[in-house]
Order: sequence, then structure tokens, then C-alpha cells
Amino acid sequence: MRGALKSGNVFCKNRIGVTGLGILSVFILTAIFAPFLAPYDPCEMFEPMAPPDSQHVLGTNDIGQDIWSELIYASRISLFIAFTTSIIATFIGTLSGLFSGYYERFGFFVMRVVDLFLALPRLPLIIILAVFMPTSIWNLIIIFVLFGWPITTRIIRSEVLTLRTRPYIDSERMMGAGDLYILGRHILPNIFPLVVVQFVMEARHVILAEAGLSFLGLGDPTSKSWGMMLHYAFEYPTIFISEVWKWWMLPPGLCIVVVILALVFVGFALEEILNPRLRREIV
Amino acid sequence: MHHLTKITAYILIIFVAISINFALPRMMPGDPITSLTDDPTTGMPVIMDEDIKEEIRSYYGLDKPISEQYTDYLKDILKCDLGWSIYYNAPVAEVIFERLKWTLLLVGTSTLIYMILGIFLGAVSAWKRGERGDLGLLVSVLSIGSFPSFFLAMLFIILFGVKLDIFPIFGATTPFMEYSSTFDAFKDVLYHLILPASTLVLTSIDGPYLLMRNSMLGVLGEDYIVTARAKGLTEWAILKDHAIKNALLPITTVIAIRMGFMISGAIFVETVFAYPGIGKLLYDAVSFSDYPLLQGAFLIITLIIIAANFIADMTYLYLDPRVKHG
Amino acid sequence: MRKLLVFLMLAALLASGFAGMPAAAEDKKVLKIEGGDYGYPSPFTFYSRGPGYIRMSLIFDTLTWKDDEEIIPWLAKSWKSENGGTKWTLYLEDDVRWHDGEPLTADDVKFTYEYIKDHSGSPLFKWFSVLNYMDHVEAPNDRTVVVTLTDPLPSFLTDFAGCIPIIPEHIWKDVSDPTRFTDPEAVIGSGPFKLAEYNKAEGYYLYEANEDYFKGVPLVDELILLEVGDPALALSAGEIDEASFWGSEIDAVETFEADPNFEVISGPSFWVLKTIFNCEKYPTNIPDFRRAIAYGIDRGEIIDQVVHGGAIVANTGILHPDSSWYMPGLPDYAKNDAVANQLLDDLGFIDTDGDGIREYPSGEDLEFELLTGDRFAREAELIQEQLEAIGIKTTVKAMSTKTLDAILKEGNFYIAVSGHGGIANPNLLETPNWPGDTYHNDTYDSIFLEQETEMNHAKRKDLVNQLQKTIANDLPVYTLYHPLIWSVYNPDKLDRWFYTLNGVATGIPIEMNKLIFFARFGDANEDGDIDMRDVTKIARMICWLDPETDAADANRDDKLNVLDIIYTELIILGRV
Repeated sequence: MRGALKSGNVFCKNRIGVTGLGILSVFILTAIFAPFLAPYDPCEMFEPMAPPDSQHVLGTNDIGQDIWSELIYASRISLFIAFTTSIIATFIGTLSGLFSGYYERFGFFVMRVVDLFLALPRLPLIIILAVFMPTSIWNLIIIFVLFGWPITTRIIRSEVLTLRTRPYIDSERMMGAGDLYILGRHILPNIFPLVVVQFVMEARHVILAEAGLSFLGLGDPTSKSWGMMLHYAFEYPTIFISEVWKWWMLPPGLCIVVVILALVFVGFALEEILNPRLRREIV
Repeated sequence: MHHLTKITAYILIIFVAISINFALPRMMPGDPITSLTDDPTTGMPVIMDEDIKEEIRSYYGLDKPISEQYTDYLKDILKCDLGWSIYYNAPVAEVIFERLKWTLLLVGTSTLIYMILGIFLGAVSAWKRGERGDLGLLVSVLSIGSFPSFFLAMLFIILFGVKLDIFPIFGATTPFMEYSSTFDAFKDVLYHLILPASTLVLTSIDGPYLLMRNSMLGVLGEDYIVTARAKGLTEWAILKDHAIKNALLPITTVIAIRMGFMISGAIFVETVFAYPGIGKLLYDAVSFSDYPLLQGAFLIITLIIIAANFIADMTYLYLDPRVKHG
Repeated sequence: MRKLLVFLMLAALLASGFAGMPAAAEDKKVLKIEGGDYGYPSPFTFYSRGPGYIRMSLIFDTLTWKDDEEIIPWLAKSWKSENGGTKWTLYLEDDVRWHDGEPLTADDVKFTYEYIKDHSGSPLFKWFSVLNYMDHVEAPNDRTVVVTLTDPLPSFLTDFAGCIPIIPEHIWKDVSDPTRFTDPEAVIGSGPFKLAEYNKAEGYYLYEANEDYFKGVPLVDELILLEVGDPALALSAGEIDEASFWGSEIDAVETFEADPNFEVISGPSFWVLKTIFNCEKYPTNIPDFRRAIAYGIDRGEIIDQVVHGGAIVANTGILHPDSSWYMPGLPDYAKNDAVANQLLDDLGFIDTDGDGIREYPSGEDLEFELLTGDRFAREAELIQEQLEAIGIKTTVKAMSTKTLDAILKEGNFYIAVSGHGGIANPNLLETPNWPGDTYHNDTYDSIFLEQETEMNHAKRKDLVNQLQKTIANDLPVYTLYHPLIWSVYNPDKLDRWFYTLNGVATGIPIEMNKLIFFARFGDANEDGDIDMRDVTKIARMICWLDPETDAADANRDDKLNVLDIIYTELIILGRV
């Protein structure tokens, strides 16, 4: 774990990374303390389409719900979907990456599956699946996990492949250490920073994908996420010809942008710190 | 030898894509022949008796056993017959190819621009590494890249289409414009292309920018650059002869790999701008439950992306000296 | 970032250079309407939706047609029925020609009916399935058609003669698969417009006026239907001259109402949103349970909160109040929690454990999934809240309409919220909780069958009333609201918009009836007072026929003064 700690220290010196982490913490705290921060229950209905005033800082939406409260509660759903998906996808990806890098035959099989997943167009498939499954948050998470793990697997595996050939691993093995011991004790700590990067990148991707699907009307229409707020705003007939967009469309959109940016900053900083060899294109 | 394995792998992937394509729409709930009822200005429930339903089903071959439908499907694909769209009442291939040109135009133009711009900005950033210009560019590019394409598209409509009123807000051409010359037609198409293409460019530019910046940073630190500098070569000469040339190699493959990403982005951009491309078609096909069309659109998109990946792989094999010799 | 800004500014400059591009030729009267692709407008290739039929109806005529008040003669100038409504004789207009100059004769009509009936496998046949009632058709001479039916068909004039488009025999006789016949000849009809251009990918239609039309020359030379991203935006930007809105889009309509450049008319949508109960499953099979839910739902609140007043409270007998079959005075189950609670208590659904949710006599919580289509999730959420107040717990589950329809057909649900159109017509009452089919009532079914063939209008209306009454009392569905629809248009381009009696053809609630393209002077005076509006309106109507002058000039300052009257008179005199 020493490697991870060391990177942690370097991280603190990276301005971009710290900024990102700061922004992210604000959103996470908002999500956790939403009931205390939001002035109203986001489902409570008032006069619809009221412009901003002292009662409703960002006005009310098409069915009279307070947009400010909605925005605060939406951070819960958006971040929940993003982090849950990333945790599961990164977990599966890390495990399969570890084993497929360590055991060659198993690896060959897994990599063919990974190749297949990566060759298929992700978003069109997700769209079709989202139509096929009844819309609910958990179904969205399942779909995102299904398409999220292969990238992690591939990256972790290639790292494990190089680590495996290190002399000290060989000597450990000769000394009779078990596979699980080597994986857990020597390989996992070394790939841990990489796993964090993957986690951040996956979260970024899921936030974007959830917003996109919701925007296309394929999300759960009863859930309150930023993407769903944008969907209803876009559907509203006078969104482009009145001033409503300023308080209804802009805030959720900017929230998405800022959270993604924070994740990108954190991921970027982590990659800077890690071995430059590991740099790859941000997808 | 390596080529052969690759080609086999790609054929396998295409086969799997076709099979998924066949299976997915059939697993979807809902009967494609049921009349559409959710549009209040048009929806009228039509109560069909079973005879009429049967006739319509057999007309579309939906009454055959699944295995037979599958072999029929494979045969038809080989004949380039993607079936008959239920909603559009026209051959699927025709509907798709009519729209494909707009997507290719949109994605092609955007790809060209964002790659050149991204490479250029990435090179500048790497050259100025550590300076304020680099940080400014980095933060700007990462910020603009964090915009979901549909959100940026909506902002563009409000800003350039409504407030400033300098760009058209929907479509690919001015309807029924009688052009006095080809140049006029070209201008009109370009005029409609600017907003959707800008959206795609700005939301995708972070990829090549970061890649170029990173490759350049790597290359700039290599020994031969240091040697070149020691030899007294000007900065520009070093950049041109060594750094850019070496950094371009990974970029070439990225162009093809990002095709899939671009086409996905086009689904959103085309939906917001009502741009008549294949992305919007895919979305429409989903909402009309038009199986053959959905299959066709999905298949074509998949094939384009697989083809792009294939080209990327092959280009890489030829360009990368390490792969060639090793 | 600077580079990006420079790029953007260059792009903007480039575009402003294009802003002065020439528009289409000015001397033609061009009308642009919001639309989209609804298929090649032949009777066999339009998409199976109302707007598809409308696009086709501009090119093809039917024997009868409807205006805002009644059935009117069209290709047939008169008709009579005999043998208790099983034999209809129709007499055609004398000089009607197809777009290619060939005369339209009774043989074409006979051919059409037989040809469409022969191609009953075509996906569009459901629009013309009323042909199943036809025993045979004859053309005793050039101008007379005799249709013999197997059973009396009271709706013959609207659903048969007023719906089936007449096609030219000389073109279609050799066409074996009409659904794939998309040659230019496929859109040769007899109607007021000819198709000049059609672009499927971009959803554009360009129609040109048929100068030789037997009802006169249309008021516009060119009619364009085009797909726009956002109708309200396109309308206010002048990209289109008319668009329609419905339900909660009332907010957009209100902006246009305040704008002097636009006029707004409102009409019935013949559409209903309803709560569908599964009448086969316990407990929704208990009528009193369904009534309790009806008392628990506040339809007024749904309309105010979700639709912003853009709808009316629905008739509990399903048919729309503007339909001529509507039965007024049915029970409306006005929101009353006390009654609802009493009904539930009497049924033994009592909250015994004090958690606010009633329990079945067996002790389980009274809890359901409330299924709904994606578009009505907001209505469903409000219902969920309202039902919670009477101790019924529901969870909203939204899905695509297709999925919902499939589940309702399978009967795998308790309560669902879904909607459909076509409620001007009693045919719709066949399965009251459509698309589900869980309501079984033999008396009801026999009344339905009886009214289908009842030729006496008063008797038939009485039967239809009985059907509506049964639904309102038995509540296999509890109707929620009928949305309003609006047409917002630029009156300087065309000022003849109206909503058709019981909808165009079999009930399409769209304002684009081809009659709007012809002048009708009687309309000028809608309110009984003669004022400037009437004068300018008449002048405008005349001017549409006379492109040299522009009627808008007559009343530039919007005040009635002598100059305007003189000017208008001059125009009128000039024509006389």
C-alpha cells in the first residue's frame, strides 16, 4: 500500500487534482445532506412554472415542483447511479483483469469476450437495451455495468502481465507463495492506483450516459436526475422562446458539466502522477 | 499470419453483431403490428380482428418459426436486403442510405476539424508545457469536453439560433430552396452544418488534444530531442521533424477508433438539431418499434464502427515499425 | 480557449454572410406548415397515422367529405339509401378529371372499392376495413355508383364514402403490390393538390395547386409541409405559418395568443387519458373498489397541476363532449375522500396496523403497481399521491407505450394509466378498457352489436347512451381528461383554419381539412356584429384569389377608419 500512499502525497500537490476533488466533495456532501439543504420536498407541488422569487430560488417546473430542491435531490440519483455502477464495474473489471492476467488460459477466454464487447458500439446497444428493459434505476445500472467492465479488464490485465514477469514475483513463487497470496500481496497494491483511475473514468462515463439516456426519454421518468430534469425542460414547448431555460435548463446542465469536469480533473491528475506509460485516451 | 487471425476475429464479431441484431428486437415486448396509440393528435385505436392481424403478420414473415426467420435474415443481409420498414413503408436499406450521407457528412467534417484542431492545440500545449498558456488551454479543453453534446447543442440553439439569430436551428438544408448554382447549394448545406458540427467538434476535441499533448510530452523528453536541441536546431524544426512526426502514430489509430464515439454523439446532436441522419433514425425507429428499421440502423452503425476499428488495426500494423519487425 | 473563440467568431462571420440568401420566389402564395415524414402520400403507402392520411387526402378525394358542421357532397353530389341501409346509390359530379387529364368515372369508383378490398393484406387496410361490409359494387352508368352492403351500416357516409380515397383505374389496374408502388403515377389523384416533391429523409412535402380542380382553384399556389425541431420556435421565427399544440403545451399557445401576428383556434382532440382497471383480478374486479379509487382521484387537480388547464375533465362514458354521440349528465365521481374511505371500509379493507396503508382482510397491505406510459408518468405520480390519502399504496412504474400495451393485452396488471384517440366514434366502445380486454358484460356486448347495425339514428343514439351509462356506472375504466388542441397560425398567410365535425374522415382531430384551401364567405362574420375584422377578412379572402393586391394593407393601424373601408370597397368593386 506504500505506493498508493505515495501517490496520495503527490496528488495533494497537484492543483488540478485538488480542485477536482474539492468540487466532487461538495457534490457528494450535497447528495448526502440533501434533505437538510433542500428547502422543500422535491415532489411537493406548488404553482407550476413560477419564475424565480424569494420562495423558489430557481422557480418551479412544469408540475410546480421547486427546481432548486429538485436539483439538490437529483445529485443523489445521478451520483448514486454513477458511483454504484463504477464500483461494480471496476470491481468486476479488476478481478477479471487480475485473474486473466495471471492465468493465461482463463485470460485468453476472457479477452475474447472483452474484445467482443469493445467491438460493439456501446451507446446504440445501450439505447436498444434501455428500450427493451422496463425503465428503472437498477436496470440502468445493470446495463451500464454490462458495458463498463471490459475496458477495466483490458487495462488491468495488461498491467498484471508486465508485473507478473518481475523478478521478485518469480522469487516469491519459488519460495512457495500461493497464487492468491501473490495476487493480493504484491500485484493488487501495485495496480491499485490504476483501479482508482478506472473508477473515476467509469463514473464520468456513466454520468454522461445516464444524462444522455434520460434526455432521450429512455431513463426512469419518475426518478429525479439531472438528465431527467433536462429531458422535461427540453420537452417543454416554450423552452427556446421564453426565458424559462435560464433557471430550468441551465442549472441541471451545468451540474452535469461541473461534476464531469471534477471527475476529469481527478482522473487527469491521477494519470499525471502515475507512470506516463499508462496514459491512454480518455473515452 | 497475424492478419489472418485478425480478419477471422472481425468476421466473428460481425457475425455476433448480426445475431444480436436479430435477437434483440424479437425479445422486445409489444407487437410491431399493433397500431400506434400514444400520439393524441393522431392516435386512434384500431381494433383489428385476428384475420387481418394474421394476414399482416404473414405479409411481414412474422408468422414463420424463429430459425427460419433467422436463416432468411442472413440470406437477405448477403443480398443487401435489410427488410421492409413497417413505419416508413419503404425498403430499410433505402431509408438508411438516404440518411447515411448526412451522418457521414456531419461526422466526417467534425472528425476532420476536431482532429486537426485537437492535434494542433495539443502540440501547442505540450510545447508550452508548464506555462500559463498550457494550463489555460488544458483547463479550457477539459471544460468544454465535459459538456454533454445535447446540452451544448441546446445552448447553441438558444444562443446562435434564437438570441443572435444567425444560424438555422433545424434540418440539413433549406426546404425547397431553388439554388442558382452548385455553390449556393453547397453554402446552404454548410450553413446548416455549422452548429451541429461545432457541437460535435467541441465535445470531442479533448480526446486528440490530450493524446497529442501526452505523446508530445513523452517524445520531447526522449534522448534524440535533447540531442537535436544540443545540435542547435530551432524549436520549430525540432517540433516539425521529430516530435510531431513521432506523436502522430498513435493519433492515426485513434481517428478510426473514435468513429464509434462520434456516431454515438451524432445520435444526440441529430436529435436536438432535427438533422436527418442515421442517429436520429435509430432513435425514431426505437420510438416507433419498427423492428426491421431498428435492426438495419443498428447493423449499419455497427458495421461502420467495426470497419473503422479494422482499418485502425491494419493501419497500425503498417505504420508501427515495432509491430512490423516483431 | 482563444483559438476556440477565434474559430467560433470566424464561423459566425461566415454564417452572417449567408443570412442574406435569396428566399423562394415571392410572387407565389406559399403556405408552410409544421409536419414531418408520414410516408409517400398514396393510399397504400402513407404511414398508418392521422397525419399520413391527411397528406394523402390532399391528393385523393372521397365521395363525401365533412366541414365543421355536417357531411357535405364531394365527388358525389347526391346520394340515397334503400333496403334499410344496405343499398346506397351515389351520383357523381359531372366534370371531374384526374391530374393527368383523364376523366374520373363511376368505373374508377367501382374499381377502387374492389381493388382495395382485394388487397386486404396491406398494412393500411385497417383504415379501409369498413369495406368488409361491402357485398358488391356496381356502376350502372358513368356517373352512378351502387354499393350493396352485407349489413346496414349507419356510418356509411362518413366511414365508407367519406374515408376511402378514389384511385384511377387506368393507373392501378396493373399494379400487383400497391404497398410497394411508389412511381410518380401512384400520386395521380383528383384532389386539390399535386405532389411536386417529397423527401423522406428530411420529412418535406411540396404540393402544387391543381388549377383545374372541380371545386375551384386552391387559395395557395404551393403548400409545404416540413419537419421542424421545435414547432413553437419555428413558428415564432417565421419558418412555418401554422403549427398545432395540445394539452400542457397551452403555455406556448398563451405566448402566441398575446402576439398580434398570430391567431389561435381551439378544438377537441377526441383523445382521452384513462385509468384502466383489470376487471378479472381481485380486488380491481370489485365495482365498489373501482368506485372508491375514482372518488379518491382528483381529476381537476391533475388538469391544473400537470396540464396547466390545457384539458377538460373527461366524460366518464369515454366519448368526447364534442362528439355528436356524447351523453351528458353521467356520474363524475367528484373527489370525495369520505365516500372513498367509506366504500373501502365497507369492503373490509381497513388499516389495522396503523401504518397509513389499508390491509386486505387477509392482512396484507393494499399495494399495487401503477403502470403508465413514459409520457404520463407525471399524471401517474399525482394519482399515486391522491390514492395514498385514502390508504391505498401504489408505486408508479413507467414504461414505453408499446410495452404497456403488451402488458395490458396480456392482462398482467391491476391499475394502469394510458390514453388513446378516436373517441368521437361509438365503434370505440367495443372494448371499453382498451387496450386491455378484461371487462366482460354480456348485456353490454349485445347492446354494442345492436347499435352497430341500427339505422334509426335516435334509436342508435339511445343504445350508445346505454353503453356510456354502463361504463360510467361499472367503471371498467375511469376516464381522466380530454386534452384541448390548438392551431396557431399566421392569418396573413391563410385564415381559414377550422376543426372538422367529429374529426377528418373517420375522426382525425387535425385542423388540416382540405376545405381550408377554399374561400367560404359566410365565415367572415363569426360573432354577428359587423366590424373591421369582418371587412378585412372578406377583403383578404378576395385578395387571396387576386394576388396583385394585399389585403393586409386595408387595416394597417388596426383601427376602423374611412380609408380602410374605401380601400376595401375599392378592392371589392374591382372584382365585381
